[in-house]
Amino acid sequence: MSHHPHHDAIPDDAPRLLSKAQCEEIARRIFAFANGGETRVWLHSWWNGELRWARNRVSLASDRRDLTINVERVLDGVWSRTTTNQTDDASLQAAVRAAERQARRGVAGARRPPFTPPVPDLGRPDPAIWSDVTYGLTTEARAGMARRLAATADAKGLLSAGYIETRGGAWMHLSSRRLAANAPWDTPYVRWTQAQCSMTVRDPAGTGSGWAGGSGYDWAKLEPEALAQRALEKCIASRNPVTLEPGRYTVILEPQAVADLIEPLVGSFRRDIAEGGLGPWALALDQALGLWRTKLGLKVVDERITISHDPADPELGIVPEAGMQPVTWIDRGILTKLTHPRAYALTRLNTNTPVRWPIGYRMSGGETSVEEMIKTTKRGLLVTRLSNIAEPLDFASLLLTGLTRDGLWLIENGQITKAVKNFRFTESPLFVLNSIEQLGPAVPVFRPVKWPYDADVGLTPAIVPALKARDFSFTSTIDAI
Amino acid sequence: MTPRSRRAFLSASATAVGALALTTLPRPLLATVGSRPEPVPPIDDPRLKGLALRGVESARAAGASYADVRLTHTRVRNILSSDIQDTESMSVGVRALVNGYWGFASGPVWSPDELARLGREAVHQAKANALGPSRVVELAPVAAVPDQHWTMPVAQDPFAISPFQMQDYLNGVEAHFARRPGVVVGLAAYFVVQDKAFASSAGSYCTQRLYQTNGFCQINVISPRDGQRLQGGVDCLSFAGLGWELFTAPRLPQVREHTLQEEIEREIDAMLADHRLPIKPVDVGRYDVVFSPRSVAELVFSTFGPATQLDRALGYEANASGTSYLNKPLEMLGTYQAGAPALTLTADRSTPGAVGTVRWDDEGVAPDAFPIVKDGALVDFQTTRESAGWLKEYYAKTGKPFRSHGCACAPQGVDAPLLHTPNLVLAPGPAARDFDDLVADLSDGIAVKALVLEMDFQNVTGLALGRGVYEVKKGKRVAMLPNAGLLFRSPELWKGLVALGGAASARRYGRSDNKGEPVQSANHSITAPPAAFKQLTLIDPLRKA
Repeated sequence: MSHHPHHDAIPDDAPRLLSKAQCEEIARRIFAFANGGETRVWLHSWWNGELRWARNRVSLASDRRDLTINVERVLDGVWSRTTTNQTDDASLQAAVRAAERQARRGVAGARRPPFTPPVPDLGRPDPAIWSDVTYGLTTEARAGMARRLAATADAKGLLSAGYIETRGGAWMHLSSRRLAANAPWDTPYVRWTQAQCSMTVRDPAGTGSGWAGGSGYDWAKLEPEALAQRALEKCIASRNPVTLEPGRYTVILEPQAVADLIEPLVGSFRRDIAEGGLGPWALALDQALGLWRTKLGLKVVDERITISHDPADPELGIVPEAGMQPVTWIDRGILTKLTHPRAYALTRLNTNTPVRWPIGYRMSGGETSVEEMIKTTKRGLLVTRLSNIAEPLDFASLLLTGLTRDGLWLIENGQITKAVKNFRFTESPLFVLNSIEQLGPAVPVFRPVKWPYDADVGLTPAIVPALKARDFSFTSTIDAI
Repeated sequence: MTPRSRRAFLSASATAVGALALTTLPRPLLATVGSRPEPVPPIDDPRLKGLALRGVESARAAGASYADVRLTHTRVRNILSSDIQDTESMSVGVRALVNGYWGFASGPVWSPDELARLGREAVHQAKANALGPSRVVELAPVAAVPDQHWTMPVAQDPFAISPFQMQDYLNGVEAHFARRPGVVVGLAAYFVVQDKAFASSAGSYCTQRLYQTNGFCQINVISPRDGQRLQGGVDCLSFAGLGWELFTAPRLPQVREHTLQEEIEREIDAMLADHRLPIKPVDVGRYDVVFSPRSVAELVFSTFGPATQLDRALGYEANASGTSYLNKPLEMLGTYQAGAPALTLTADRSTPGAVGTVRWDDEGVAPDAFPIVKDGALVDFQTTRESAGWLKEYYAKTGKPFRSHGCACAPQGVDAPLLHTPNLVLAPGPAARDFDDLVADLSDGIAVKALVLEMDFQNVTGLALGRGVYEVKKGKRVAMLPNAGLLFRSPELWKGLVALGGAASARRYGRSDNKGEPVQSANHSITAPPAAFKQLTLIDPLRKA
């Protein structure tokens, strides 16, 4: 028996995440090390079960676990934070002392942002973000699935590469002030899971490539076999593409391509930037007031488009956060909300409610299937997905450049006639959302959490439709397949 | 503020009490090296070997034919003018090979029992996949490293200096420029020190202390001529294998010729000089182009950097960031013309001050310096112990030694090792000429000071977005082209290389290589001279079709 319970061996079948009681116990020890003021603790433990394969063979399978403990000290209204991943007394005490030194330094320097009070919990119902199936998916189950998926490509003489990831995490915010007041904790103990499966199939000569992927909190909803079949079919159908002239084309963007294209758009809904006169949502400088007017209340895209999220939406599965409410950023084409943080709400709007980012979002759709869109197209291009989209070339118009990838086809007289060599596009999602001809039903797409160590990243599902739009601008051909 | 020497500082802090002394001491994280927890010992404490070997032995006992272990203790310090952020973490990972399949397990606790669990779990991961079709791994031979330690040499250990002293220094530089009307300079610093122990069933045990430092500098200038706001920065603060001297040294070979203050001063002057030039729209067409060292480094980073990663070339990253235009390594090696005869690109992990420099990689291999492109011909790829095996035939045929080039890297113990790009060095030209000399030779063309590159997923077609593009007439920069971009294909670009600056004109830059699923980020340096290329396509990237 060890003297320090936190350094006991973790049994092979032990829980992989910190329990609520463990979080509270760690927090109480941290609070005990602090002298005066408020101490806030954010604990996040996570587990990843991962599997990569390439050339139809598994290249690495892994089981990884870690945790992050943010210790924030608030002294005389000035806060400071340190981070550790160790739960022993000495490490926690050292983290508290380091945060205190910096907070005191902040008092002397008086250059820190003012401390803002926490947002009251508005009591939204807990959405579904935990799946026992995801957390319980075994190493053997991942291995068996990867073998089956890779075998479909192997059987056709093609090369597949793919990735299966199942993750779980548990986090909790705790405050010494709430503890002293015997008040409930700032946020409930939150457990989340996340699953993703994606697969690329290429022909050995490198003349064709197909991809399909899915992500969400529930592994049971992902249908990996169907994804693999789609990647395989796209690879076979995309082989030996012909070169087309760059130019403006009618495009049918599959839901994945729509999500890829509007990602920078949903990231741009920021009130502070618009009021600073920058970005797509700034309108004009009001000379009399010396303030920038925004496009809030103006029609900015096609009236069939609504972009919103409801934290209680079971299909979105958004991680709860204090102060979260349903948000509609674009309502039937009209810009109705821009995100702002608590500090903005407190100082400018005299409320204590932030407006959240589109962490998870839903974009309204229509009823036209992709098949129907193809049938009604005289000449156009069918796009699987868009890749390598960088920072906007022009922020005000949200002009983007990026590439088509893993399947691009020419449609002539209502039929797919040829595979087409990939293009670089130069286009704005705002232009596309104002040039819509048809919309399909909204479906979940691949939009996984990108960086597991980032404490501020929530889960990021997106539900978007396929769409057909006029005059999409392709500016050059690229050689990559 | 008067900077003090490290020795003077240490002797002062040894007797000081209170905040200053506390910040300079390592924070006492715990590890269980023996039977009970204790403050983490220095990484070269011989007892850590026993801890690391527990993971190796456990994996071997569970059935691994090969196993390795990495322990990391990482401290990160971010110094902003109004904030200091400290992060500290420990982690450990065990990797095991069973019948050609790799398994990996990792976590945050250093203790013998946990190492044993990770060893068993890594084998469990591997065995679950070893039920599948056969997979052959031939690890390139490696000389066992017997119990050695290496500390990356830095002049000023950033973790032995008070962060408040460093913050004062940066604030002092900012205040110095604030006296100049219309000028605002913002500075930030970022430091990483990583202690790393490696053990393998090949008989190696080695420990290292590695440093990474970078900085951020934003310069805002209001033009006295027309009141326009100009933005810029200095390019001498990218990631380096250096300490606090990145900011304080009077000069740093291949990084900057002057003090940081003078570099900022010169940049402000350059921004104002550029602003005096007339602005022209892009006249689309083909032009001869001279690139600055920074732009050439960016071109190397975005073309050969990813394209000569052997795993990527063979499809191991196909489902992530992509594959490579150099996609048939065994056919292409020794025969493929990757560029003009003047082009020689070598890789190493030994350049002093470079951020990818180590004594041993994350498979216990002492990396060598090796040419990737020699006199224009593709002669090698970046390799690890497993991937070197894929080129065994080529090495045998050409009489080259069968070995890994030491490109394995696990950014933290919690991450599995992956092939990451080492330091790259583009060989300079024979004549002692710099950027301005190459521009002076251009009768009619384009000069590029900085650019942002957008490549495709095989690194073959690229779009360079200009961030300082000049029209050149009769060897003089006569106009700015603010919206200029260049379209190119990597093979033609490098075949069109006509001149390189001399050794003294080369500069070194640190860049991050993101790859893998889940994504890992590892840093390396690229050293490049300025260069002239013939006939590239100039476009306006903001123009739609």
